[in-house]
Amino acid sequence: MMEKKAIVNSETGIHARPALTVVKVASKFKSEVLIVKDGNVYNAKSIVAIMCMAAVKNDEITIRTNGIDEEEAAVAMVELIQEGLN
Amino acid sequence: MFGFIKKNKEEKNIIIKSPVVGRCFDISEIPDEVFSTKMLGNGIGFESTEGILYAPVDGEILMVFPTKHAMILKSKEGIEILLHIGIDTVEMKGEGFQVFVEKDQQVKAGDKLLAFDNDLIKAKAKSNLSALVVTDNEIVESLDFKLGTVDKNNNVIIVKIK
Repeated sequence: MMEKKAIVNSETGIHARPALTVVKVASKFKSEVLIVKDGNVYNAKSIVAIMCMAAVKNDEITIRTNGIDEEEAAVAMVELIQEGLN
Repeated sequence: MFGFIKKNKEEKNIIIKSPVVGRCFDISEIPDEVFSTKMLGNGIGFESTEGILYAPVDGEILMVFPTKHAMILKSKEGIEILLHIGIDTVEMKGEGFQVFVEKDQQVKAGDKLLAFDNDLIKAKAKSNLSALVVTDNEIVESLDFKLGTVDKNNNVIIVKIK
């Protein structure tokens, strides 16, 4: 298992369109990809889960990956959350 | 015997009522490919004449977006429904929206969920056309639509459950 912290950088938070991007990127990996926010765990491959996370700009989240490509998945997710959602 | 089987089948449908007084139309007409290409799931477009969003099913509020322009409901049968007012309304950061419900609240079909200022949305956002999306769910077999001019009591989607 691997964990990496990230700060949400999307100006308007993770609403419908960015949530879809999160799911697309997470789904490229075989590993389980989870996002932990305020102690709650969300499946990054589920659009409803990611929208329900209701993350806003500057929220600190933790990417938790588990599987054969967990390192690449964690790196890609952090990069996306911090820089790729605007 | 046949009557019994038929009745059982009918009970596997979920009726989604119109979320607005106004009109419901094909989701492909929404000017945002996130909705029109059904990336989030299948559903309908809608436009309100009075600026009020009603619960389309009995269920629970799973979340309200911090910017108040969208929310997700979970029906009592377990399907999840995204209600999204306008296009690019996230940029309005809550201005022109008034929410009457909160996360985890139980609602009945027809309950008021949200009031929104159509004129302000038309002036500030890309469009006031809105979307109701039944997010992809393994229990859903298919959706049947009844579109056109609607009141909030009209059935607009019949969801067939596996």
